[in-house]
Amino acid sequence: MESNKVERLLERYFEGETNLTEEKVLRTYFTSGEVAPHLQAYVGLFSAFAKAQEDTFESPIVIPSKRRNTTWLVSAVAIVLVTIGFFIQQQSSEQTVSGDFKDNPEMAVLKAKQSLLLVSRMINQSTSQLGAVKAFDNAPSPFFK
Amino acid sequence: MDQTTFIQQVNPFKDKVYRVAKRLLVSDDEAQDATQEILLKLWTHRSKFAQYRSVEAFAMTMTKNYCYDKLKAKSSSNLKIVHNNYEDHSWNTGRQVEVADEVAWVFKLMKDLPKQQQLIVQLRDIEQFNNSEIADMLEMNETAVRVALSRARKTLREALIKKQNYGIQ
Repeated sequence: MESNKVERLLERYFEGETNLTEEKVLRTYFTSGEVAPHLQAYVGLFSAFAKAQEDTFESPIVIPSKRRNTTWLVSAVAIVLVTIGFFIQQQSSEQTVSGDFKDNPEMAVLKAKQSLLLVSRMINQSTSQLGAVKAFDNAPSPFFK
Repeated sequence: MDQTTFIQQVNPFKDKVYRVAKRLLVSDDEAQDATQEILLKLWTHRSKFAQYRSVEAFAMTMTKNYCYDKLKAKSSSNLKIVHNNYEDHSWNTGRQVEVADEVAWVFKLMKDLPKQQQLIVQLRDIEQFNNSEIADMLEMNETAVRVALSRARKTLREALIKKQNYGIQ
């Protein structure tokens, strides 16, 4: 290509007035290896642009897989199952209580008394153990005289 | 949208995202992280792809914002030292020793341009977007893009001519 045409293009290039096609012409000219001596200064510029285009992103694209969705699903199912299990258990326990004593209120009262007694006996037993704590009061105090 | 269609859609411009990020962030590793991060963001926004005129332009805007944020975070914290390390890594010796490689010299000159001009030169002269696309991506008007582009190119020219004259003498 005649160098005066290139010069005109260059002038417009630096004013930002060239379009992409004209810039491609410039790039091809300056990377061709047959550049007029007085235009050598620009070879580096256009070969740098050409070279920069070759840089690529090589590592694989990492996208979160659908695993996250399945964990949500699994936990939702687990919660539902636990809730259902809980209700079933409660219902069955209600049934046994009402089944045993529905027709027999006296029996129910007796049973209740029995269990209350059991509890109070256990409490008494454990408070009696507290007597040992008094031993601390009898210990000589090295700090206070 | 499933993964394969998404990857098909981003594949044509993932290199551009990477190169733009690298131009601004300098470091290779950081540019890779940035690209990965931006692709991830695109993936989470994939349902909105239909709303955008061009997914590519949207990705570029995202890249610009992401890199600016990164640079801002770096300059305002102690990470600045790390950033200087990157520059030193490739150029500290270059300042003393004559840079023989013309291409490397141009990249060095580009690095000294203001960030916005760097971005515009990158998008125009390397990624081959036209001015109206660039204006769209950078949220500027077209005239401002053209002016900044011309200014950046002239700065590069001045430095190149200076260097050539220097070589002759």
